[in-house]
Amino acid sequence: MNSVLNLILSHQSSRAVSRMLAYWSEYVPAGSILLAYGGPREEFDAIAHRQKCYVDDSRLRTSDHQREFQSYSGLFQQAAAFLATEGTAFRFVHFAEYDHLPLVADLNARQVQLLRAEDADVLAFHLHRVDGTNHPHFLYHAAEDRFHALWAGISRRSDPKVVLSIFGSGSFWTREAFLAVSSRTEPFRMYLEIYLPTLAHHLGFRVRGFGVQDRFIDVLGDETDKIEAARAGGAWTLHPAKRLWTD
Amino acid sequence: MRKPIRSLGLFLARFFGSRILDVHTGRVIDRALVVCFRGKVYVIGARENLRPVFEPQKRLTYWRQKIGFTVHEPPDFPREAPPRDEQ
Repeated sequence: MNSVLNLILSHQSSRAVSRMLAYWSEYVPAGSILLAYGGPREEFDAIAHRQKCYVDDSRLRTSDHQREFQSYSGLFQQAAAFLATEGTAFRFVHFAEYDHLPLVADLNARQVQLLRAEDADVLAFHLHRVDGTNHPHFLYHAAEDRFHALWAGISRRSDPKVVLSIFGSGSFWTREAFLAVSSRTEPFRMYLEIYLPTLAHHLGFRVRGFGVQDRFIDVLGDETDKIEAARAGGAWTLHPAKRLWTD
Repeated sequence: MRKPIRSLGLFLARFFGSRILDVHTGRVIDRALVVCFRGKVYVIGARENLRPVFEPQKRLTYWRQKIGFTVHEPPDFPREAPPRDEQ
């Protein structure tokens, strides 16, 4: 069995999810896909994919994600529970949102290769160190008195003030790092793009970026019309392609 | 309606603002409008993650100091956890 669990998050209709899963199955083994669903319950029930979980977490269903501190903790905890049922079959976890497309057939092999080349435990897009900067998400969290105290209390690092930021989709984890982060409960609300990499860092894991692949990951807009151009340009994945499953 | 107004405001801020140079390397790292008002410095229109720092001075002056900006190096911290067991 493929050693990478591809954890894919969607909230779209069952029909759109079926199209998405059919596409993904051309790039990774269908048995490696765990669908995490955050949409209506009746749509979830209509999805035929065997490996699926319903994420009943209000922290996932935010509309203003940054100001409402959107969280993937509940989602990651469900994936961790799934991993526990599968023994040690999956040694890595790749997380992607529904609008994040794989573009190469050996995607998981490339991710594992890069992880090993970087000697990392976590790979993520748009990784930045943001403590002490004008980064809006950092400043929003720094206004919470407990924020820095949290890291000082758990950090294995010599500098507990380090804060990292990533893009939420596309992260790639060793099983150990994923389980360690998933096992923690947020003591207060934090935004996933700050919380996840900073927690992994302070637990002692090595977090690295995807390097040149960052240029194929945009936060806003819609890249649906640029899929072939991205593939030709060397993209492993592309984000965001929002219309592919619904058009 | 708010987004077009905000976009226009940011365009103007960057247009009338100045280049932001890294105090350590002298490299241009951003462009923004920097305004001092009521004892605080407002940075408007910046796109990079800027860190404000007092600039080192080769000449000792008691009457003025300069605040500039720099950026963090890309994160490259070693692992502190026990080595993972991939086998």
